[in-house]
Amino acid sequence: MIGSGGVGKTTLAAALGLRSATAGDDTLVMTFDPSLRLKDALGVGGEAKGEEVVVPFQGSGHLAASLLDAKMTFDRLIRDYAPDEASAQRILGNPYYDGLAGGLAGILEYMAVERLWEVVSAGHYRRVILDTPPTRQALDFLKAPERIVGFLDSGALSLALKSWFDGEGHLKALPTWGGMGRRVEAWLDKQVGMDLLRDMSEFFRAFGPLFEGFRERAETVRQLLRSPETVFYQVASADHKRIPDVLYFARQLEEEGLRSGPVIVNRIHPQTDSFPEIPGSEVFHWLGERDREGLRQLRSLLPGLAVIGLPMWQKELTSLERLDELGGLLEHRMGGESPGSLDSGE
Amino acid sequence: MNETESIREQAESIVSLLEGAQLVVVTGKGGVGKTTLAALIARTLAARRKALLLEVDPRENAHRILGMPPSGGQSIQVSPKLWLQNLRPQHVLDRHVRHKVKVDLLARKIIDHPVYQHFSEGAPGLKELAILEHARRQINRGWSHSQVDVVVLDAPATGHGLSLLRAPELVASTLTGGPFASLGHELHEFVTNRRKTAAVVVSSAEEMPIEESIELLGALKELRISPSFCVVNGVYPPWNPFFQNALPVEVAELWSRRWVLEQRGVERLTREWRGPLFEIPLVDEVDDDRLLNRLAKEVRRLR
Repeated sequence: MIGSGGVGKTTLAAALGLRSATAGDDTLVMTFDPSLRLKDALGVGGEAKGEEVVVPFQGSGHLAASLLDAKMTFDRLIRDYAPDEASAQRILGNPYYDGLAGGLAGILEYMAVERLWEVVSAGHYRRVILDTPPTRQALDFLKAPERIVGFLDSGALSLALKSWFDGEGHLKALPTWGGMGRRVEAWLDKQVGMDLLRDMSEFFRAFGPLFEGFRERAETVRQLLRSPETVFYQVASADHKRIPDVLYFARQLEEEGLRSGPVIVNRIHPQTDSFPEIPGSEVFHWLGERDREGLRQLRSLLPGLAVIGLPMWQKELTSLERLDELGGLLEHRMGGESPGSLDSGE
Repeated sequence: MNETESIREQAESIVSLLEGAQLVVVTGKGGVGKTTLAALIARTLAARRKALLLEVDPRENAHRILGMPPSGGQSIQVSPKLWLQNLRPQHVLDRHVRHKVKVDLLARKIIDHPVYQHFSEGAPGLKELAILEHARRQINRGWSHSQVDVVVLDAPATGHGLSLLRAPELVASTLTGGPFASLGHELHEFVTNRRKTAAVVVSSAEEMPIEESIELLGALKELRISPSFCVVNGVYPPWNPFFQNALPVEVAELWSRRWVLEQRGVERLTREWRGPLFEIPLVDEVDDDRLLNRLAKEVRRLR
């Protein structure tokens, strides 16, 4: 499920998950920042971080939900894949790792990808519904693995860092870079000081043995995302101001060769007249008109895609029953089109 | 005081709370109208002093609200005292390097060097530091006519602009020495100094944005940053049970429920935030040009 923040992506992911499980498919909904109400409805509390929590409900399939904790996932991956305890500690204890795991742009998306790989490989679910992080760059999570793997790798970087420090931890001159290289090095030295460079060097060296595994997994997920088993649903609002974003994401999906499902235009206001004696009704009238016009525009601008409108929900979505109603309406409007499944060769 | 004057007072009261600020950082979750608010603040400030609206986003958006073409990364003039510029995060650090390293050839070598590229990608806080430094450099410190009196920074929605404000301290503590570390110290002082930097928190009235704003306020407090005011944006019109019979059932139900939910949201925020609070209603305006004018008139001070 992709889309800008605040459009109801997570709620719809949960609703679709519920329908999927009701129909008999074991389903996992992976979320990022579900609202407090949704957390209650799904039972995705503190225990769900990084793990799958079974959602209790009446249906023939199983439904589970998980909430991503990037740092926890990264730590666990290091421990799982480091050749031994000592190497794991060298990485986990490195001061640069601390800042990196928290602050590196794209780390959240990258960890989501790792989790996705884990879940898919374990094979417990017929269907996984991935709610993506609420960024304005909806497809960041696609690019993140490549970027981060590229960052962790880079022949030049690991090569360079390997020989930056001699046995005593002193920075040494690199004849291979020549005079200019030495000036770059000197400039960086002067700018950032020695400890950070040393920590980074240590980190990359310790990370070295794990790198290949990360790269392979990222590649597997990359293939999965591009396979016919994966469909991207874009969730949007009908607000005309956001239409350029919707078009942009749709175009990006196409350019990346990814399979686009319907565009779900969510939270559409009902149409109503403006009554002079009812102050505020003109705002509702405008909202109804705006959303109707937005939906119409999106339909005409995206002729190759199914553009589905969903109304603003009357009741608060605080229970599974209500989520199910929403999911039912969505399914009905999609014309019984079912989301991609993880069956191979069916 | 007649009605026009009292209307003007409302928007002006926002600005009076920002009097003397050199940098105004507009923070908040994505989708709440942060960029619109930042534009409104910049435009209102520009009535009195020279202002620059700085947007940090790989995709330009702010120009639309001001009825301008995209800035393309340059500083473009919107009106006699208002400028607009969009910064792409990955290029800001490069600009900083070019500014610092006077020798052009060396600067290019550095920027193209894979070690620099990966370092700037991976070293925590550097890009944000470069953004803040760029903003600070635009402020008139007496030596250039092209500078402005105040910069309104539309903070990135990811991380609610918190990572931006935390970056100086992060850099100062991670780097043991050198110009970046001292820049980190300087900028930390700059953003935590209420007389120089004003923070504004924008939210909508819905549950999630309100909760996140409260979290954000807590995080800002830890940074020793006290926002100048909060704004709840896009509030639904007040519901009156007398309307019930005159409206279609689904509209009446939706309106009454949303009103209750939003009032709850605003109440929650007023309990957690004791400072100045503004409310801006949903405004039935399609035209971007007229939207800012309407919003300026509709601002309501709650506290």
